Amino acid sequence: MAAPERIAIAAAGAVTPIGPDLETFWSGLVTGVSGISQIERFNVSDLKVQRGGEVKKLGRIKDWCGVPDCRATRLLVAAADDLCAQTPLRPLPLDPERVGVVVGTALGGVEEGERALAGDRPGRRFPEALYDGPGYGLARWLGARGPVITVSTACASGATALAVGADLLRRDEADLVLAGGYDALCRFVLRGFNALRSLTRDEVRPFDRRRTGLLLGEAGALALLVRERDLRGPRLGTLLGYGSASDGFHIAAPEPEGRGLERAVRAALADADVAPRDVDFVSAHGTATLLNDRIETAALKRALGARAHQVPVNSIKGGLGHTMGAAAALEAFMCLLAAQRGLIPPTLHLEEPDPECDLDYVPGRARPGRPRIMLSTSMGFGGCNGAVVLEAG
Amino acid sequence: MAAPHVRALGMLSGRPGVAAVPGLWALPQPERAGDRFRRATRECLLGLAAVDAMLEDGRATREAIAGDGTALLYVTAAAYGASNRQFIERRGGVMHFAYTAPAVVPAEVAIEFAVTGAYGILIGGAPSTLRAIRQAGQMLDEARCDRVLLLVVEIFEECADLYARYRRYTKWPLVETAACLWLERGEGTLHFESRRGGPASGPARADERFAAGPLADLREWRERGAVGPLELSGRWRDEHARLQWSMARSHARGSAA
Repeated sequence: MAAPERIAIAAAGAVTPIGPDLETFWSGLVTGVSGISQIERFNVSDLKVQRGGEVKKLGRIKDWCGVPDCRATRLLVAAADDLCAQTPLRPLPLDPERVGVVVGTALGGVEEGERALAGDRPGRRFPEALYDGPGYGLARWLGARGPVITVSTACASGATALAVGADLLRRDEADLVLAGGYDALCRFVLRGFNALRSLTRDEVRPFDRRRTGLLLGEAGALALLVRERDLRGPRLGTLLGYGSASDGFHIAAPEPEGRGLERAVRAALADADVAPRDVDFVSAHGTATLLNDRIETAALKRALGARAHQVPVNSIKGGLGHTMGAAAALEAFMCLLAAQRGLIPPTLHLEEPDPECDLDYVPGRARPGRPRIMLSTSMGFGGCNGAVVLEAG
Repeated sequence: MAAPHVRALGMLSGRPGVAAVPGLWALPQPERAGDRFRRATRECLLGLAAVDAMLEDGRATREAIAGDGTALLYVTAAAYGASNRQFIERRGGVMHFAYTAPAVVPAEVAIEFAVTGAYGILIGGAPSTLRAIRQAGQMLDEARCDRVLLLVVEIFEECADLYARYRRYTKWPLVETAACLWLERGEGTLHFESRRGGPASGPARADERFAAGPLADLREWRERGAVGPLELSGRWRDEHARLQWSMARSHARGSAA
């Protein structure tokens, strides 16, 4: 079988709790900035945990083009605006029908649903409450007339979106694809995770023996994907492979042995035609829940064998919170920036390692290193496991 | 890319009179024994019932689809609306939140039928379903799996008042549907095209099933004897998509691979 068409990540854009653009996001990661704060945008007074990774300044976007003005769409457009600052895309440099949009989300426009049901302009809010509303909003802002696809594989959505975007290019349905993920903090999700008692009142401490749970964050993250043979200019890196697997175990809890994640990692490595010994760096899902970090460690050890102990593994959720649909895309960008800048961001708030989590989790401060092949893992509600393999630019 | 072969199709369709809302053809909540299902939502139970119907159509046992050789694709435009609303309105208890994720519907199928292969979840209407069929064909062609289950669930009753408010944008009757299509490696050809804006590229359905429309058309084609070329089409928002599907073997009901 012929090798699959190689897909380049030409550029990326982001808006995150630690910075309104990709550069500030990166500098925040390597200097250990925390974006966790008291949530201010909506009422949380009745919730036990009232903190999260909130984007404090998300201004109105210029040239709004009549796009429905909801926060989820704003996050996406802000990420696209950052991308446009690096690679001019407005007006689009090619036929708009050849430009696609693929976004991943865990929540879509559910906040609009909350508002509609509360009686706030229900007729206008309802269509935007559908999970694919913000993706169409982004396409409209961009002027893209190609395919618009929304995927929702829970917290693995960003990884799935990158893979689906790559497939659009391989099947010649588009010549440029904006792919990534987003999710907005809102009462719906804060109330839900409070009810599940997954949130911590402490810092988010991935792989630390004192870890007591996660905090949520919000973000938008978009990559510009293009076929490698069509690339004219610099690139951030290459998307080499993707794998997914269902746990088939429980709707909210991960399978205790991490077999689903292991299968996803093996599938991604096979898709990338990469051996475990080739992997130089792992970006872990690393939510800092008791179960996740232990299960993920075990799965990585089985999937990578001895190599798991030889490579750095980090989690960036300590400073961002869990940005849900955006998380996997942000973590992929972090991998590529680490390779480009020669520095691996630390796992923030990891101070007392858990003996059951015995890999090299980059505690303390950023570490010099220039990985070439990188693996990023994701796990989500419903037993969704995803993994992407990336190559340095 | 070779077109996939239809091994089986299970489909449950709503009927008039089940819901109190005129023009909304609802599906009753399926019964399912077992403590595990005490919190399961209607869309989850319908997903499971669609797989049961598919196994019956294919005269197959659940063991035939278990394991990591089976990939699971799920498409819906709006089925999550019911559970989202329930949570927003503080019904269903604190544990209900987990059921608001679209991913939970295929997760229940994966758990119940021990399906542990690759998966994908697309949010959208008929064009997403046609895209998923093509994705299934590609996965089979590249030997990434032995079979693909394409699950589609659309329910409307819990948000009927909102759909009614937005009536001018949807065709009525709204027909609730839960379907599962079992695809295997085939030998025909598959041609997919989509276009945003412009005129519709195929015949429009008289009813509204969102993502389930193409599978209703597929079922009708099989019931007519699966003779002649199959063309599935559909629209969602401003996208029109069409799938031309020719095959070398019979896709009629009950035709084993």
